[in-house]
Amino acid sequence: MEFGLWQVWEGGWVTAILRGAAVTIAVGLSSMVAGLLIGVVCGLIKWARIFPLSLLVDGYTSVVRGVPELLVIYLLFFSSVEFVTKVITAFGYAGLAESGYAFVIAVIAIGAISGAYSTEVIRGALASIPNGHIEAARALGLPASRIFRRIIAPQMLRIAVPGLNNVWQTTIKDTALVSVVGLQELMRISYIGANSTRHPFIFYLIAAVVYLVITLVSQAGFDGIERLLRIRARR
Amino acid sequence: MELIQLAVPVLLKGLWVTAALTLVSVLIGFNLGLGLALMRLSSNGLLAGFAKYYSNVFRGTPLLVQIFIFYYGLGEVSLVRDNAVLWWVIRDGSRCAVLALALNTAAYTSEILRGGLMSVPVGLVEAAQACGMSRVLRFRRIEFPLAIRQALPAYGNELILVVKGTSLASTITVLEITGYAKRLMSQTFAIFEIFAIAGLLYLVVNLSLIAIIRLLERFLMRHESQSRQGLSAPRSDESAAVS
Amino acid sequence: MKLKVLTLLACLAGSMGSALAAEGELSIGTEGAYPPWSMSDANGNVTGFDADVGALLCTKLAVTCHFVVQAFDGLIPALKAKRFDVIISGMSITADRKKEINFSVGYAELANMFIAAKGSDLAGITDVDTLLKSLDGKKIGVQAGTTHAHFLEKRAPNADLKTYDTLDQMQIDLASGRIDTAFADQSALQDFLDKPDGKNFQLVGVKIQSTFDPTLGEGIGVGIAQENTELKAKIDKALCELIADGSIGKASQKWFKSDISRPCN
Repeated sequence: MEFGLWQVWEGGWVTAILRGAAVTIAVGLSSMVAGLLIGVVCGLIKWARIFPLSLLVDGYTSVVRGVPELLVIYLLFFSSVEFVTKVITAFGYAGLAESGYAFVIAVIAIGAISGAYSTEVIRGALASIPNGHIEAARALGLPASRIFRRIIAPQMLRIAVPGLNNVWQTTIKDTALVSVVGLQELMRISYIGANSTRHPFIFYLIAAVVYLVITLVSQAGFDGIERLLRIRARR
Repeated sequence: MELIQLAVPVLLKGLWVTAALTLVSVLIGFNLGLGLALMRLSSNGLLAGFAKYYSNVFRGTPLLVQIFIFYYGLGEVSLVRDNAVLWWVIRDGSRCAVLALALNTAAYTSEILRGGLMSVPVGLVEAAQACGMSRVLRFRRIEFPLAIRQALPAYGNELILVVKGTSLASTITVLEITGYAKRLMSQTFAIFEIFAIAGLLYLVVNLSLIAIIRLLERFLMRHESQSRQGLSAPRSDESAAVS
Repeated sequence: MKLKVLTLLACLAGSMGSALAAEGELSIGTEGAYPPWSMSDANGNVTGFDADVGALLCTKLAVTCHFVVQAFDGLIPALKAKRFDVIISGMSITADRKKEINFSVGYAELANMFIAAKGSDLAGITDVDTLLKSLDGKKIGVQAGTTHAHFLEKRAPNADLKTYDTLDQMQIDLASGRIDTAFADQSALQDFLDKPDGKNFQLVGVKIQSTFDPTLGEGIGVGIAQENTELKAKIDKALCELIADGSIGKASQKWFKSDISRPCN
């Protein structure tokens, strides 16, 4: 009884934790997508060395990767709130208020962090595409958009998958940090539960197990994708 | 300007704590990680299995959850509270943070070192064996130095992640850079400026860390010719260094 | 492309007003982890004295209430960023905070106290000066960003301050013996003493009133954005009526078993 398993069941915490896990996955997925968009754009800029922009991208990736995620989240959450509020209001989410607001902030913060790591992965993948392929396509007179779609993108994706797996694992774990600013995701729910029932051990342990399940399942998923891509590549 | 005069000395005080947390965690974590990597590569199934699960559990859960389990979770267990040694560690926020950080970085370090050790050509080890080197000597003279060279870039990334990880100690009452920054924020409400200065401090620490690692790398590789590209290519596996 | 998006955003942002709240709705920022002032449960519902004060206020103003839960030290930044219209979270009115936001009239007032283990050397102290002196080197738990934290930073500079995001965390550490004492308002500490964890603790017999040091503020008020003078006038009037007719006193009896409401002048 010391660890209060009974309170977890009795206080309705099981559904709360599941709800929190759903929010965690939603934040993780949205941030990953946002990060991928940033990653592809910035990765291309870095790879192609588009001059003034590539400097900006360099600054962005080294700042985000060199500063603790927690600090980035505090900064975005406490200081640029006004700007974000305006953006949200502009998109007509005024009524959404708290949950929607915290969610958007979380996705912006985690997406920006995830984006910096994606940028590096995508750049690396682009760099490993043999130059000859692109030159050959150019020689054939293919337009740039077509070269990207037919030559660059498919190869880049295949090479980037293991790296993106790492980025995804980091991203899903980083979502736990958003709890400190009050989004009711898995960690926050566990935190409220731990504090109000005075049984932190069991609540944080449950949280750890749920995170582990999420990361292990997605690891298996990525392994599947990798295998699929390898088979397709061989054919 | 006034703000900078107020904030910088306070944040510098935090910098020392951040540095100390990093140093101690890395010292413990590296040795644990090395042990785990050797266990993972050993022929004993039980040891290898333990090392594998350890690494999966610690890499599969957020550091924040780990820190909270150690600090708030274990603090609740009377078994821990009644044991003088355990309670000495768990009682104090910074010791608890070091414990969590060290165990966490050990998991990543073990993966990085395992990759390094596996990259050591079998022929070299066999040659050493043929020369009659003992197992310990072989490890010290042949396998470890080669593995470290191979693993250094990835380990450099890991070090930066530890520095960043220390910021989470602020959530369990430790006053390091982030902890002081939060306190300053509630005193001055100059949120952006305070966090920008704190971020800059971290950036300086990490950039100098990168520079040191680069120098070390060049020093270790001084015997190698320019065949660097060939060496760094097959390292997709342990780029798992992103926490 | 990037420029286009930016201009688009800027236009949208500019065209929209600043107020988050829809007409007829008052959004209230509160901590949700400071019993018996403001607590939140598994479903995110807010209860407590501040929840009641908020509800009374909304009824008086004929608007619907909407609570936003937010860590205490983030409340003022969030109010300034217009995440909600007002703060009702047991927040003391202080000179420092007045530089950032506006306050209503005070609606409640409570003494501040220390708590310590029964029989410890702190527990027996009965006067302020001895108490403050004997805090040197002691581990004191206090909540981040509160008047209590600012008071101790000023009056007990040699103490080892441990700051917590929530009172609950501080109470967990108090019970486990990680800290020697904690400083908070009387009601919050009484809440701890009433729990099983609190059985080995007692209040230190020194009540520190807010008149003792300006860092402790001038009673508890509703935080309002500085430019929102119209709302302040409305809230002041409503609060005075609620204090005068005893509604807030009644809510206070329910949560504190005594009337802590502050007469309105």
